[in-house]
Amino acid sequence: MKNNGHSTQVLVIGAGIAGIEASLLLANSGAKVYLIERNSYFGGNVIKFEEVFPNMECATCMIAPKQQELLQNEGIELLTLSQVEAVQGSAGDFTVKVKKKARYVDLENCIGCNACFEPCPVEVDNEFEQGFSKRKAIYIPCAGALPNVPAIDTENCLRFKGEDCQACQEACIFEAIDYTQQDEELELKVGAILAATGFKPFDPSKTKQYGYKKFSNVYSDIEIERICASNGPTQGQIVLRDGETPKSVAIIHCVGREEKGYCSSVCCMSSIKLAHFLKKKLPEVKITQFYSDLCIPGRTYQKFYEEVQESGVDFIRARVNEVAEQGKELAIKYKTEDGKENTLNVDMLILAPALEPEANSDKLAEMLGIPQGDGGFFTEKKPDLDSSVTTLKDGIFVAGCTQGPKDIPDTVAQAEAAVGRILSMPR
Amino acid sequence: MAKKIGVYVCECGTNIADNVDIDRVIEAVSPLHDVELVEKYRLLCSEDGKEFLKQSIQEHELTHLVVAACSPKQHELTFMNICAAAGLNPYLFQMVNIREQCAWVTADKKEATEKAITQIKAAIARVRYHVPLEKKEMDVCPDVLVVGGGIAGIKASQLLASPDRKVYLVEKTSSLGGKVKGFKKLFTDMESGSVLIEQELNSLQGNKNVEVLTDSEVEQILGFLGNFEAKIMRKTESEERNLSVGAVVLATGFDLLDPTGLYQYGYGKLDDVYTSLEFEEMNISGGATGGKVLLKNGKPPESVAIIHCVGREEKGYCSRVCCLYSFKFARMLKSQFPDVKVSHFYSDMCIPGKSYQKFYEETKELGVEFVRAGKTEVAQNGKGIVVKYEAEAGKEGEHAADMVILVPAMEPSSDTNKFAQMLGIPLDDEGFLVREHQLLAPVGSSIGGVFVVGCAQGPQNISESIVQSEAAAGKILSSLVPGRKLELEVKTSEISETFCSGCKICISICPYSAITFDEARGIALVNEALCHGCGACAAACPSGAASMKGFTSTQIYQEVVELVR
Amino acid sequence: MQEEFKPQIVGFLCNWCSYTGADLAGATKQKIPASLSVIKVMCSGRVEPVLITTAYLRGADGVLVAGCHPGDCHYREGNYYARRRFALLEKTMETLGLEPERLMLAWVSASEGQRFSEVTNQFAGRIKQMGPSPLKKALL
Repeated sequence: MKNNGHSTQVLVIGAGIAGIEASLLLANSGAKVYLIERNSYFGGNVIKFEEVFPNMECATCMIAPKQQELLQNEGIELLTLSQVEAVQGSAGDFTVKVKKKARYVDLENCIGCNACFEPCPVEVDNEFEQGFSKRKAIYIPCAGALPNVPAIDTENCLRFKGEDCQACQEACIFEAIDYTQQDEELELKVGAILAATGFKPFDPSKTKQYGYKKFSNVYSDIEIERICASNGPTQGQIVLRDGETPKSVAIIHCVGREEKGYCSSVCCMSSIKLAHFLKKKLPEVKITQFYSDLCIPGRTYQKFYEEVQESGVDFIRARVNEVAEQGKELAIKYKTEDGKENTLNVDMLILAPALEPEANSDKLAEMLGIPQGDGGFFTEKKPDLDSSVTTLKDGIFVAGCTQGPKDIPDTVAQAEAAVGRILSMPR
Repeated sequence: MAKKIGVYVCECGTNIADNVDIDRVIEAVSPLHDVELVEKYRLLCSEDGKEFLKQSIQEHELTHLVVAACSPKQHELTFMNICAAAGLNPYLFQMVNIREQCAWVTADKKEATEKAITQIKAAIARVRYHVPLEKKEMDVCPDVLVVGGGIAGIKASQLLASPDRKVYLVEKTSSLGGKVKGFKKLFTDMESGSVLIEQELNSLQGNKNVEVLTDSEVEQILGFLGNFEAKIMRKTESEERNLSVGAVVLATGFDLLDPTGLYQYGYGKLDDVYTSLEFEEMNISGGATGGKVLLKNGKPPESVAIIHCVGREEKGYCSRVCCLYSFKFARMLKSQFPDVKVSHFYSDMCIPGKSYQKFYEETKELGVEFVRAGKTEVAQNGKGIVVKYEAEAGKEGEHAADMVILVPAMEPSSDTNKFAQMLGIPLDDEGFLVREHQLLAPVGSSIGGVFVVGCAQGPQNISESIVQSEAAAGKILSSLVPGRKLELEVKTSEISETFCSGCKICISICPYSAITFDEARGIALVNEALCHGCGACAAACPSGAASMKGFTSTQIYQEVVELVR
Repeated sequence: MQEEFKPQIVGFLCNWCSYTGADLAGATKQKIPASLSVIKVMCSGRVEPVLITTAYLRGADGVLVAGCHPGDCHYREGNYYARRRFALLEKTMETLGLEPERLMLAWVSASEGQRFSEVTNQFAGRIKQMGPSPLKKALL
């Protein structure tokens, strides 16, 4: 596939920041890209954040121009609600079976007016908003999600459970809702495949000592990200579950590190970022962070940490042994390295969990024939000594957290590197 | 030629029609000068709508188009394409947002209608002053100059080179391989650095499309994306080569901070205090000790102290790879001398990544000691050395050693400053070249077509350096396609020769260094290949010489005047 | 009969952040004052002071310039230039006795639909209270 302007066909699995960047570069070179995304919207994890470190840049502002460009790029076919079912062939000649679930809303006719939401009688927890708000069975995950077209959640929709409800269709004046849509089986012929399926956070309920899901004001950092989001369930108001404003916050790093056996690279920085954000929103709030080793290796990361420290955030090197409820507060029992034990009471506790490979990674790895190594992440061809985007399968590449936990710049570099590799594949 | 402005108002089903009295809009706008027609349509972005619009433009021979509908972010491109299909220059078009920013947000229908009318009138006033704009293209050279023959430079060259794309790999020393060539072992598999380099060089040698220029230095780089001219001085041949390339990849690597100035470590004063690179050298079979780790007195060490983060406080950043390579040192020592005592003094263990904690724990299992320490000092103690350290919680400790390995901060190599100056790329507080975008463009620089990869860009390990060099390759392969012209931004700045007074204000503020000064004529010139169309120059020009296509002061002025009429 | 004062506010919104934020306000059906008329520019750094003063001198009761938050500018530095120019313009207006409170510079990100609504309503409220621009009488 030497780049001489001939069209190359590439499959990119996962439309997060890595998938988006790779797709745009590939399409720009003249390649045809099939971008597969499991969800009904795209943007991966980055669109869940309000601001990203170290410059506290608005995540949506940063990624939206790329998303817009992607939607308008004729060389990229974005297939949402789609997953890879089978992969056959070899470099230059892969046949990929993709299952495309029906959205039941026509992407062309729908203008994104949201009129179909109100009449829907079903209300469920909104997973994107980490359960802090509700959504209907026909929904978009949050304001500004792209494509701005809802999907029907067939598991909760009354019609798909056997009842004769047509409320959404009746409300749509553009005839965009089509219950007769069918799931599709697509067969794509591509020359190269890029797996960029991202990460999911370690579930803190697997740990016993932090009180996650036991005490109401213990949160996972991804939940707080949505609380912080200006397009989130509280429009960016920092509140506890009872609606009160927290006066004291603790953040515990490395949740799940022991269980997983590796450092997830980004959690120290994202915890420091949260502290920075909370302090900006609530100047009087007292924030304390508990960590074991501070991992801040990126460019200007240390400066960012020092600024946050100077703003009055306490960093305590300690092991948290137990979190207990004390009235409305949480009592955090910790032990510092000199052996002294102490307790800190706070209103809000945020846990920074480890990063794991995305939910369907096992299945995808198997289909692609790529072994999973440490942590269940996809193994690169020659760890440490060569590019981490190549795998043992020629023509199949990885980028981003699929290969290992990392921050956005490293993710984007891998996506671009995968493009470099793909565009210089021998014909 | 008389203008014939066509105005189309989309009902957007009922989304606009419900809250804007479209008939009233048509009534208010129709009488305007130059307005040929004002028509409404149910859904202009539908297939029928688009066909209707195209036909209507052609039928009425419209010279300008105004569409009042949803946000231009939704369908501006759609309607521009319709213009093109109808034979109308797509830039003779203005879109009015009467949905997201009018119908959907205005409480009172009458007010929404008035607002829609005002905005449409403003668009008509503006569009009168639109001029046709054309997509511009530029010839580009697909060849690439790679500066620095270390692992990053070698990998970039391999990936980029092809029969229709030549790569020039320029290296200032007489051999390729950079720092990695001098590492006996590499973490985590403890494989040989020189073997790795040898393998890479073997495949590079067979590559006819890479021209390697060793003992060569870059004297000058002029030009811009797609059209650089580089002057290379070949030292041994005393000749100058002029290269025409389309992109430049800087892979000039790192230097270690010199710990001489950090008196507390005794470097350069005490015997047997080494930097990590000196320790690496000691292990190379061609080195002074024949590859054996020996003290100055010729004896093998019995107790080695490895001090992390040397210079971290002074530099203000973590150098990312040192914890890991110091574990490598511990293993190398243990494998040479199974009984040697190895102790690490560190403040925070930085081992991000799926496999590195395992590497750390396995190192500990070899009996290697890890001591968390704050301030650390190295002092003479009789015939040996003592490491004095502050443990956390203020306690002080002392550790006897006969060899100390300092792990200093990694700095950008001395060449980095040279290129920063040559190309006009700013350095950040840490001394590294500023990225094009901290997160979304990690290997780009502020100059289009110039990429910075590997440790020149920030401390990183071998795999990360290779990824970065491939990332630069990816960006270059994607944009500089042999035989294909580069498409340029349409709405760029232009500077009138007549009015330019040569004050250079625009040059100083352009974020993309897209404006240069023509000394001979005393005027500023915009390079359309680099201009991103932000308009900062147009706003700053005191002579009104700089204007921005599509956003001229006249066009905006017309909107302003109409909006407050 | 005294007519109720209907302010005329001109807003310059940057294409990447504030315009998108304004669109989001629309998509989420927030309320935006009818008195606000919008001019889209690519960057708040494009807004030269003469455009603001033109609006004002031509009878605008208030002028708003909205851009990306510092650090988020799509063109790196444009909003910093806007900030500096605006500060100087405010000072100049103050010196000339031209009520600089009738000008506002706001940072609105692409996801701040609610904030755009708050900022614009707050500004419109301020202008309503201040009454018509003193230059309006001069124009009449």
